Amino acid sequence: MQLFSCPFCGPRDETEFLFGAEAGKRRPEPAAEVSARAWGEHLHFAGNPKGPAREIWLHLTCGEFFAMERDTVSHAVSATRALRGGGQ
Amino acid sequence: MPEAMHDRGRFWTPAPDWRAASLEGEGWRARRIHGLGQTLVSGDLDAARAALAPGAGEVGLWGVAGEGAGDGAYAARIARDRALLVTPSPLAAAPGWRDGFAVSPCDDLYAAVEISGPAMPQLVAEGTAADLEAGSRSAAVLFSGVSCLLYRAGPERARLHVESPFAAYIWTWLHGCVGRAPNRGATLQGA
Ligand SMILES: [Zn+2]
Repeated sequence: MQLFSCPFCGPRDETEFLFGAEAGKRRPEPAAEVSARAWGEHLHFAGNPKGPAREIWLHLTCGEFFAMERDTVSHAVSATRALRGGGQ
Repeated sequence: MPEAMHDRGRFWTPAPDWRAASLEGEGWRARRIHGLGQTLVSGDLDAARAALAPGAGEVGLWGVAGEGAGDGAYAARIARDRALLVTPSPLAAAPGWRDGFAVSPCDDLYAAVEISGPAMPQLVAEGTAADLEAGSRSAAVLFSGVSCLLYRAGPERARLHVESPFAAYIWTWLHGCVGRAPNRGATLQGA
């Protein structure tokens, strides 16, 4: 069992969370000019870093999307941050 | 005569007779609370409370509701911009957008179950991995694997709001705890 810290709710069990995506991954735009290859790479290719990673996660019970910095080898979480202002 | 269709009624957990349903365990009892008003509000939660239930307090995970003015109304916080306004009876508020917030009447969306008694904290702790004594701003939590709102209406009274389709499941889960002492391993820290 591991605890993740939702920026709004605080520490909660890992089962309440869902991995969203690697952070910083932007959808290629404009759609009309994106090749099938570029779109396929966007959908299916991930950096999948070994070690420090920055990812977007979802806290399922409250619905908050947030950024999480964690180590994919040790699983240690170094930070979680709200994606919008306030952070309250 | 061959069955024209499978009777799937027996597949599902039988729903109890909610009017009469009550469970008695070692040091705790559970019943369903009827007639509460439940209204989802989104956006500017302070404005929503002021407009719909002036004086209503806010409660998060394991917090005690109703400690304040508000005629028994309180807001169970769900998310940064979302709360369930609980009132002693339905508000019949008009649904839709207002000044800075949205209103969705949902009196029947959640079934409210009250668990009370001296062993209530240990029993509730068995249902969730959250550190109850540490609290949380949001009352939304996984309880026995389903998303619920969990807070207290008094020191020994917990309230669970579970989406109505899961009510029979939660009841079955609680029923499975009858006849044995709540797990001591689930004793709350510091309790
Ligand atoms: Zn959260």
